[in-house]
Amino acid sequence: MSYARPIRIIRPISFSPRDLVRELRELWQYRDLFYTLTVHRIKVRYKQSVLGLAWAILQPLSLMLIYTVIFSVIAKVPSEGVPYAVFAYAALLPWTFFSSSLTNATQGLVSHSQLVTKVYFAREILPLTYVSAALFDFAVASTFLIALFFYYGVGLSVYALYAIPIMILLAAIATAFSLFLSAMQVRFRDIGVAMPLLLQLWMFSTPVVYPLSAVPQRFRSLYALNPLVGVIENFRRVVLQGVEPDSHSLAISAAAAAILLPLAYLYFKRVEATMADVI
Amino acid sequence: MIDLQLTNVSKKYRIRRDVDGGTSLLRKLLSIRKRKEDFWALKDISFGVQRAEALGIIGHNGAGKSTILKLLSRITTPTTGEIMINGRLSALIEVGSGFHPELTGRENIYLNGSILGMMRREITQKLESIVEFAELRQFIDTPVKRYSSGMYVRLGFSIAAHLDPDVLLLDEVLAVGDASFQRKCIQRITELKKSGTTIVFISHDLRAVQQLCDRVILLKKGHIEADGDPAATIALYQSASAQLSGQAAGGMGQKPTGEAVVTSLTFYDENENECLSFETGKPMKAVLNYRVDKPVSDVIFEVQFYSQEGRLTSFFSSETLGQTIDVEPGEGSISFDCSSVGLGPGVYFIDTGIRNRLAPYGIDIDWRRRCIAVRIDYDHHLRETFYMPYICRHSPPQSFANFSPVTPKAFANPSPGLERSDNPGSVNLNKI
Repeated sequence: MSYARPIRIIRPISFSPRDLVRELRELWQYRDLFYTLTVHRIKVRYKQSVLGLAWAILQPLSLMLIYTVIFSVIAKVPSEGVPYAVFAYAALLPWTFFSSSLTNATQGLVSHSQLVTKVYFAREILPLTYVSAALFDFAVASTFLIALFFYYGVGLSVYALYAIPIMILLAAIATAFSLFLSAMQVRFRDIGVAMPLLLQLWMFSTPVVYPLSAVPQRFRSLYALNPLVGVIENFRRVVLQGVEPDSHSLAISAAAAAILLPLAYLYFKRVEATMADVI
Repeated sequence: MIDLQLTNVSKKYRIRRDVDGGTSLLRKLLSIRKRKEDFWALKDISFGVQRAEALGIIGHNGAGKSTILKLLSRITTPTTGEIMINGRLSALIEVGSGFHPELTGRENIYLNGSILGMMRREITQKLESIVEFAELRQFIDTPVKRYSSGMYVRLGFSIAAHLDPDVLLLDEVLAVGDASFQRKCIQRITELKKSGTTIVFISHDLRAVQQLCDRVILLKKGHIEADGDPAATIALYQSASAQLSGQAAGGMGQKPTGEAVVTSLTFYDENENECLSFETGKPMKAVLNYRVDKPVSDVIFEVQFYSQEGRLTSFFSSETLGQTIDVEPGEGSISFDCSSVGLGPGVYFIDTGIRNRLAPYGIDIDWRRRCIAVRIDYDHHLRETFYMPYICRHSPPQSFANFSPVTPKAFANPSPGLERSDNPGSVNLNKI
């Protein structure tokens, strides 16, 4: 053998942050699986479906239509000077990414129990690929936002480029929750059942269908604890208003991601060790 | 050079009452004070495997074989102890479990290959060879949902066979595919072994274990019962199997009523030698000895054959005698003579017992669950799952004048000309 043989020691589960580096290095070795599985998710979803890729747009679009009717025609919700449809779509876009990541990733391990009990690979790949596949859908659905801009004559500024780091932040938060919830789901199937309700509540406590400015001042500090507030509000802000993001609310989201992601990963790895026994 | 070392490895499973995996949060909270039952699947196991050695691990179902496999392949972690693995390890367990039906064969090669730990570049290099080995060139761009089960298995094994590991874990993989593909698999494994791959082979297929392994470990209830020369260890396993001991009486049903007991069950080959391995199509005889303590009327004796998956495949029953058997205290025996074994190759686990003919299912006088394992091997007769006794005759081509077709009686109407016939009304082809 011409290469250095890796020596591996398997021990009972331990739970130390020191292992984090080792686990991440191993995750890197599985990068090809991550790529293949992501492509696989996207392919499988659109194979044998008539509308194919259009589904990626259809989802936020239909939500946009519903909310436009409810919140713009029936109830008059302020939309910061842009047509409500664009206003809603610009926030539904990142929100749909977040919610479909979580919905799919939560089931990710359980639906692959066949695989999990038969072969070893870094299992975090499974929830992670759902996040990356949702990111692909996000990219497809973004094209429709551009189309809306043209239709309503809304201009794009350079500040819209801030959307990229904001999306990276959102992806980090989505990853943290996906890891945590998918691992929880292995032991407690309640999580999967509760997800639709949880996401619904979460969406209404995030400025998606209404602007942040509509939230009464005295609730603001409590409201801002939701890590998605900073991300979603700022995404819409840089894309629609064409101004710099609000660093205060963004900092809260970034701090939340910095804390939640390593914790979720460690929790996931701990559950992973005996996952095959209980799944 | 040691490639694999287990040091004081134990694995504990927690047995919970629910069967569907995953409990609900509420139930978990409510049951937090309840005592859970612990089950030690492995207890304090230590052994090492040398480089290029082929180690076989055998034992009854539940002895801990598959737990070892799961620990080595990192599917689960040990409760205590330490495992050292030197080199890249690949496990060949139930090939094809990572296939997606909608994707084509080619796409699945990439998917499955990367699940098994190959890099994309590596798969691309080996793609030709994988397709070639699986004999699927024509169908490689067809979705695998259109594949036959044989094609599925061939593709799965072919991917796994191209892994080039330093340490290879093998499960019951050899029990799949048709005979010619099996030979190919064994050949490939032998090649790997020659090239210095360390092999751990876990199987019920004792013949394959003996063929392939340099050393065999016999597991019993989570500890190592024997470790050494393959022939000796396998013999020990087979003799232990034959003694009906160690197996809990009473199966899924209630406690046996116990008026009579099975004292031994012995299998014989055509030469009346005690035997636990047979060939499809050849004779087999089972003799059951019993002792009666209290008189019982209308009993039946049964010997049941279970596949490895636990499916009842076939059985011998004294009910076929067509007469009522009443037994008085004393000892007796009953024999079942089978002229031609119809079971396909594999290992079968035997249940035997005495029941009252009219008793409801599960209430037995005596029942021995999985008391012996019998191995059935291929012979030239059989390639699929079971054997139908038949005789084959062939009439080689001859000139039409002399040809007389082999026809079953029912169809044996003299066909004009082809049958030599003295009937003046029939037409002789030669004359036309």
